[in-house]
Amino acid sequence: CDRELLETIPNDRLSESLFWKTENDARLAANSLYTDLDSTNLISWDAMTDIAHTNQPFDVQAYVELGQYDATSSKVFGEWAKAYKGVRACNYFLENVDKVVTTNSALINQFKGEAKALRAYQYLKLASLFGDVPLVTTAISLDDSRALTRTPIAQVWDFVDKELSDAAGLLPTTYAAADKGRITKGAAIGLRARANLLAGRYQQAADAADQVMKLGIYGLNDSYEKLFSYAAENNKEVLLDRQFIKDTYPVNTFNLLGPYSQKSAQSTYVPTKALADMYETTAGKLITDPSSGYDPANPYANRDPRLRFSNFLTGDPLPSGITFRPEPNSGTADAVGNTYIASTTGFNIKKYVNAEDYANPANNGINIILLRYAEILLIYAEAKIELNQLDASVLTAINTVRNGRTDVKQPSISSTATQAELRTIVRRERAVELAFEGVRLFDIRRWKIAETVIPGPVYGITYKAANGALTTVEVVAVNRTFDKSRHYLWPIPQKERNLTPTLSQNPGW
Amino acid sequence: QSIALASHVQQKQPDDTKVASRQLKDVLNDLKTQYGVNIMFELRTVEGISVSPENLSSKATLEKNLENLLRPLGLHYKKVNSNSYLVLGEKKAKKVAFFDSQLPESAPNQEQNPLADAPVKTSATTALAVVKTEIAADPITGTVKSQTGETLPGINVVIKNTSKGTSTDANGKYTIEAPANAILVFSGIGFATQEVPVNGRSRLDISLVSDNKQLDEVVVVGYGTQKRNSLTNSVAQIGAEEIARRPVSNIQQSLQGQLPGVTVLDQGGSPGRSNTAIRVRGITTFNINGISNTAGTNNGTGGYDMSKNDALVIVDGIEQRLADINPDDIETVTILKDAASTAIYGSRATNGVVLVTTKRAKGSKVQVEYNGYYASQNSINKPHMMGIEDYMRMQVAAYTNAGSPLPARFTEQSIQAYITATDREKYPLPNTWFQTVLHSAPQQNHTLAVSGGNEAIRTRLSLRYQDQAGIITHYGSKIGEIRLNTDYTISPKLRVSGDINYRYNYSQAPTVDPVNFFLHGSLWAVPKYADGTYGLSTQGNNPLMYAEIGGDSKRSTDYLAGYVKGEWEIMDGLTFSTQLAGRGFFTQEKNFGNSYVNFDRNANVTKTVANNTLNEVRNTLREYTLINLLTYERRFGDHNVKALLGYSQIGNTQTFLTAYRERFYNNDIQSIGQGANDGTKSNSGNDALYGLRSYFGRLNYDYNGKYLVEVNGRYDGSSKFTGEKQYSFFPSFSAGWRLSKENFWQGLQKTVNDLKVRGSWGITGNQSVNLYSYYASLAASGYDFNGAAVQGYRQTTLANTNLGWESTTQLDLGLDASFLRGRVNLTVDYYKKTTNDILLNLDIPATVGLIAPPQNAGSVENKGWEFSLNYRGAKNASGFQYNLGGNFSINENKVIDLKGTGPYIIGSDIDPRYIIAVGLPINTLWGYRTDGLFQTQQQITEYKATYAANTKPGDVKYIDANGDGKIDANDMTNIGNTFPKFTFGLNSNFSFRNFELNLLFQGAAKVDTRLAGALAEMGNQEGFTHSLYTNNYWTPDHTDARFPRPLKFDLRNVATSDRLIIDGSYVRLKNIQLAYSLPAAIANKVRLNRIRTYVSATNVFTISKLNEWNLDPEAGSGRAVYYPQTALYTLGLNLQF
Repeated sequence: CDRELLETIPNDRLSESLFWKTENDARLAANSLYTDLDSTNLISWDAMTDIAHTNQPFDVQAYVELGQYDATSSKVFGEWAKAYKGVRACNYFLENVDKVVTTNSALINQFKGEAKALRAYQYLKLASLFGDVPLVTTAISLDDSRALTRTPIAQVWDFVDKELSDAAGLLPTTYAAADKGRITKGAAIGLRARANLLAGRYQQAADAADQVMKLGIYGLNDSYEKLFSYAAENNKEVLLDRQFIKDTYPVNTFNLLGPYSQKSAQSTYVPTKALADMYETTAGKLITDPSSGYDPANPYANRDPRLRFSNFLTGDPLPSGITFRPEPNSGTADAVGNTYIASTTGFNIKKYVNAEDYANPANNGINIILLRYAEILLIYAEAKIELNQLDASVLTAINTVRNGRTDVKQPSISSTATQAELRTIVRRERAVELAFEGVRLFDIRRWKIAETVIPGPVYGITYKAANGALTTVEVVAVNRTFDKSRHYLWPIPQKERNLTPTLSQNPGW
Repeated sequence: QSIALASHVQQKQPDDTKVASRQLKDVLNDLKTQYGVNIMFELRTVEGISVSPENLSSKATLEKNLENLLRPLGLHYKKVNSNSYLVLGEKKAKKVAFFDSQLPESAPNQEQNPLADAPVKTSATTALAVVKTEIAADPITGTVKSQTGETLPGINVVIKNTSKGTSTDANGKYTIEAPANAILVFSGIGFATQEVPVNGRSRLDISLVSDNKQLDEVVVVGYGTQKRNSLTNSVAQIGAEEIARRPVSNIQQSLQGQLPGVTVLDQGGSPGRSNTAIRVRGITTFNINGISNTAGTNNGTGGYDMSKNDALVIVDGIEQRLADINPDDIETVTILKDAASTAIYGSRATNGVVLVTTKRAKGSKVQVEYNGYYASQNSINKPHMMGIEDYMRMQVAAYTNAGSPLPARFTEQSIQAYITATDREKYPLPNTWFQTVLHSAPQQNHTLAVSGGNEAIRTRLSLRYQDQAGIITHYGSKIGEIRLNTDYTISPKLRVSGDINYRYNYSQAPTVDPVNFFLHGSLWAVPKYADGTYGLSTQGNNPLMYAEIGGDSKRSTDYLAGYVKGEWEIMDGLTFSTQLAGRGFFTQEKNFGNSYVNFDRNANVTKTVANNTLNEVRNTLREYTLINLLTYERRFGDHNVKALLGYSQIGNTQTFLTAYRERFYNNDIQSIGQGANDGTKSNSGNDALYGLRSYFGRLNYDYNGKYLVEVNGRYDGSSKFTGEKQYSFFPSFSAGWRLSKENFWQGLQKTVNDLKVRGSWGITGNQSVNLYSYYASLAASGYDFNGAAVQGYRQTTLANTNLGWESTTQLDLGLDASFLRGRVNLTVDYYKKTTNDILLNLDIPATVGLIAPPQNAGSVENKGWEFSLNYRGAKNASGFQYNLGGNFSINENKVIDLKGTGPYIIGSDIDPRYIIAVGLPINTLWGYRTDGLFQTQQQITEYKATYAANTKPGDVKYIDANGDGKIDANDMTNIGNTFPKFTFGLNSNFSFRNFELNLLFQGAAKVDTRLAGALAEMGNQEGFTHSLYTNNYWTPDHTDARFPRPLKFDLRNVATSDRLIIDGSYVRLKNIQLAYSLPAAIANKVRLNRIRTYVSATNVFTISKLNEWNLDPEAGSGRAVYYPQTALYTLGLNLQF
């Protein structure tokens, strides 16, 4: 009878024993590592800070935003699991790639560099979110995983720094067109700058940022407005991005972020008044400054143009051809209070919401930028300020961001500014320049300002009500809390501690 | 002297027979056919007698005709039972041949499976061969009496394994020539067949025991049959009659409430895609993150895949799907419950085994049967929306409590406008979906069966057509089915049977499930404007629009199953059989989403579905099964031995293919090739192979029917495992003792006719893990660089090469008793079932970075009691008779070990949260306990622990279980059971003359349901708001309200807690049926044997706490977004001719 009956061979998967033979196998395995890069989830981090809000109250991350979460939060677990999935893939790659027989060792080294940099990327995120985390550097077994302990964060930062240095040595500065999007030397060094800034290792951060600047191949995109458009993909400002193509490997930014009136758009995360108020007036002054030229009756006019480039504001034309009218009872779908899907603050995120995607809102191809040159400049400036090395290069870095483009021309910072003044300036600059790009959560943690900027109600647009009074929208039933004794770090997921009892918990949880 | 069967052997006619007159024998045979009865006579009595048929009238009753025919001849007849007549003369019987063209049902083939093995041993009485008298035969005489001492005429007396026989005369006397070592078989309608060895005696007086159907019932067991009274296992069986009693769309529904230990969860489901699960003795296993449910089957389980708990279903020896079988084709359904009965199915047996046998042709007369019904389906769960004013005022309270400005709709002026409006297009009611979308819908089912044959070939052919419309438009299903069951008797020792079953099943459902939108995200929408456009909620939804123009999912399945089986009786008692079966599924599905634009001019909302899409699916399954069996049965004096050896193998191949395209020219062009030929088109698919190879055996031994022992074993090898784990052995033992057969019982015999105690122990397995779980592999995972896709490969799932069988050890202690001359039967079982090495997709630490493979981890215990008590009444003088059957089951489920891991908690605050933890039942509902509502600010300040920061009076007081001053996950505890502890059914059947009334009650207790979604949110989101909340929420003036204060867009008062748990216990009148059968005399006039018509209703009423929420108790926890349960009102007809 049928001898093969019990020895079935699947055809819907590839046996590991057949793989790791050729150079192409190494390439195929390296390609898959990129799928672990972050995508729109980094926008969700901003929606747990003062600058944005999670629109729907029953979204799991709304509980985190409100401070009503614990170690069982699925948002917390989700980010943990996603990062370790990426770590696993890189570990597995690095453990096996040397089995490939090839004479092209340069190529294998390049792939190794990619894997090392991508693994460091995950640990950078893990350390920022959780503090001490298990430092897993091999493709561990189930038994290994049950006995892991948390590595002190300083050692994690050491590892990240070392790995990124190694990777930078293995990676090319640029790729041929077909490989554009792979991680480069500049990206590895740039991530090193970010990691050291987050670690408070300012000298290393400044040095790394400087190294990137000295590569001479990066610069700001001429237009801030177009920076997140299809036309600007792979421009000289981008060090690292998560690449997508419509139809094949699509992303759904339009659907996720767009105003509710735009077909099936969901307004998942929405900007807050706190962010809007951080944009200076065109005079380079805060709106609280009587000399700023700010008109309370016309609050969004005469402002840093990045306000309108990053946010949908009242009166903006929308891709469907209508005008954005978020005021309550405005009669459009976007009116605050119309439904919980419409923005509850009256603002909508504009970055990555491209009119080209209106036809097919859930099928977009826009690349999500993970690291860009403006951030490198701001890392450099902040690190130098913290080091109190207040030389001209600091001002140049900040001013390049403020007015180095054709469509953003904020006045330059005065050379007489003190360290404290510069610190305030660079922090605000980061908030407005990098809004919705996933850096704010870590910024308010390391600056220890979360306890002051988070608690309380969330406000939205200011508009002229029917009776003529200026009215500011307050989001219904939202009153955030922030417990400084524990909320500066997420808890180690409870599920994970149940399975690995040797994992300790963060303080306060 | 030869013995012949008159109906098949032409008797030579005497030359002088007048043309006008006919042989009495032939006339009697004609009467048999005409009236569909059995007329037995001695050849001698009627031989050579001619009659003229003018004495007969086709309009007269049979009795009248017999009277007219026989009296002038000096003969008379005796009615031996409702369907049999015996023609008697004056002369003494000496050597006779008896005529029996239609074998009585209790003829001596009782211990055979009447379906699979029908012709076995009947050859003795039906063979064509003319058998010569044995040499050295001596005449044996005797009298046959009943237990009560009356003489019995018309009892068949046959020499075993020959066709030689006679029957008793009017005084119960018989004479037969038989060898001294022969065995005589005495059989007659209404009496248990008895075999008596001659042992050289010349006189044998026999006392026949009246037939106790329950005791003598043949029960289908694994790879064979057994008499109920020799069973040592826990087995429950129901027959065609009970199945046919309830008009159902699938067979699972007819099992509901009928059998102890069998829980049928009927969770409704749309036509053709219904969702019914059978659990035998609780839940043994669970799956943490293997959520592989197909559409719509996650109700009640909250994301756990519980399909691993489904019982194994064997139809005529072959594993099949139960839902597909035509209930009208089913002869018996047997549920094997304890390990002793299931171990013969080894690795697939842990969750019990359902054995189905289909009907086969019996007798030689061609019989035509029609069963059909027409029914009206109506929704039984229509939650009531709050009245418009109450609702709007509550919204005002909710916004006010949340401290936020009122939307324009809820200003006083607007509220007044809504209340007084007559134009409901301009001022729509908030939610009317249960009234406007649900409608009653017809359902019809017809089965036509023809059966008949002769000794050599018997066949049964059946046709079925079912058409079920949906109670929501665009739902529906149709079934067309043919079954041909054929049996050939090549020789008395060689038999072949072959069955073919083809079924076409078509079902349709809207692509966008409208049911979710009955409750969620669809307020204030006009169902349909006069101009044909649809109203939209602010979220752009309208369930009627989705149902009518959203597009349809159309699924067709062709199902083909067939087998050939050969049986060869090698020598007396030793039989070899082989069965080769094949079955296949071919499913094709088109899920077409229409593109459309709908503008609601009142609400100023537009719904745009920009692209139409087609997702096309092809799914095939091919499986073959080979079963070889060697059985041996022999009696050595008082020792009875029965043995079985078997080998089987199953090979299964599945292929799966999907294709997707979008942007078709219009919504009617639904051919995959016509969609956009660009990057959006995609396809996917995979193949799977699976094999199972098994060796098994069984040994039954009994001493004089008193001491019974059975041993089973199965050695299974599965392709789902590898290495030394590939094969595993599953043994079982059982024993029984019939106390009632002991001498000391004789005094009690009159009260307790039969009493058996039995016990069993055994191990069974479960191999339900995904294929290739042990296989270290890489999966495709692509990326793109600079706008061009590149391929990639990566690990995704951790391979577990140590994966092995899940095994269940089960102990069963049982008792079968029968009282009052078999009228009352009691069965009691206690069981304890421990499942070890549960195959779990346990969570693994996420630090591994891969998807968890199934692991052997943890243990679950199920223990419980099962009671079944049946009463079969006698017909009293006025023709009244009734039967009662009750069953009651207790099941306690507990996780006893998780190998140091867990607890495992899934779900969230807004959906049911379940826990799997040591010491608790599987899937215990998990959440906060509460202690009413806070009434004053002072109480809040004193209590400290609040769920939300700014808790106010009227908010829920969650109990701070650990007293740490905070409400968090550490305060959660078990708040409810999802699987009922008690289930019960009561079946009663009353008949009075030609009327019959059947009632089936069924229910469950100690089970909980957790509200979620709109039902729980009390209008705080934008969902349906139940009328229960009307004037029953906390306000400063109404502090003793049942519900907390409403708080717009705030979920603090509806966090997962005992407040949302509703006792799901229920009692339901599942079915009531009133039937009327036309008297035989009238039926006969139109040449019919039987005309029976009935009216019936299902889900007639329910007593449950869930009634006030208008929820169905069988649907389980969750957001209540299931296709509504229906009540059926049926008119049915059974014809037989």
